Amino acid sequence: MNLEDELRAALRREDPSPGFANRVVARAQSSRAPKQAMPRFIWAVAIAAMLVIGFTSTYEYRQMKAERAGHDAVLALRIAAEKLNMTRDKAMRREN
Amino acid sequence: MTDDPELFEELVREHQAMVFSMACRYLRNRALAEEIAQDVFLQLYRKLPSLESQDHVVHWLRWVTAHRLIDHSRHEKRRPQSPLDDAPEPVASTSSTDPLLSDMLRDLVAALPENARVVMILRYQEDLDPMDIARALDMPIATVKSHLQRSLALLRDKLSREKGVGL
Repeated sequence: MNLEDELRAALRREDPSPGFANRVVARAQSSRAPKQAMPRFIWAVAIAAMLVIGFTSTYEYRQMKAERAGHDAVLALRIAAEKLNMTRDKAMRREN
Repeated sequence: MTDDPELFEELVREHQAMVFSMACRYLRNRALAEEIAQDVFLQLYRKLPSLESQDHVVHWLRWVTAHRLIDHSRHEKRRPQSPLDDAPEPVASTSSTDPLLSDMLRDLVAALPENARVVMILRYQEDLDPMDIARALDMPIATVKSHLQRSLALLRDKLSREKGVGL
């Protein structure tokens, strides 16, 4: 046998240890799973955050508007009451 | 091709011996060879959608494995490089398929410089002709032929110098 034949015999292919393919496939699937789950998770969190921010700001805006309307109503009543008092005082002074 | 897990598993089973043996012959370390072979197949899994055919997969696997191995040995600081002159002296034997001679040849090939080692593995493990090796490694064909001639001469010299194994 010559050197080239000996090299072919010495360097012939051999299989890796049993279960090699299963280990590679398991690693491939585990490396892919988080990559797919991640964007879905991020989208879900982003949508939930936007909904919470939207509802909260709408609620606060309405509450602020209601409070301001309440203050305006109280102020209007005070002004009306003062005017009524002034009118009543004038009327009493004329009668006297 | 798609990144269908069943197709991927089929490809791993079909080509595991090629990738693992290239790494094993290059590194002479089965555990490290399996680790590198696994990394090559994981890279294949991500790359699958862009590969067009089985031939393309085989070419891609050879190219990536070869370059991975060369990069690994260039960056490997823990494993001291042993030049061919420092390789263990062969034990005299002339019988064909002698396990000792085979083991000795594997040691001598593993002690060759990186590019020459890959060229020898592709030539004698994968049985590629110099033109295919040049294509697989993006290397000029003259360089491939030169690596083959020089490596064979070195191995012959090493085998015959002191122990008188003439091949």
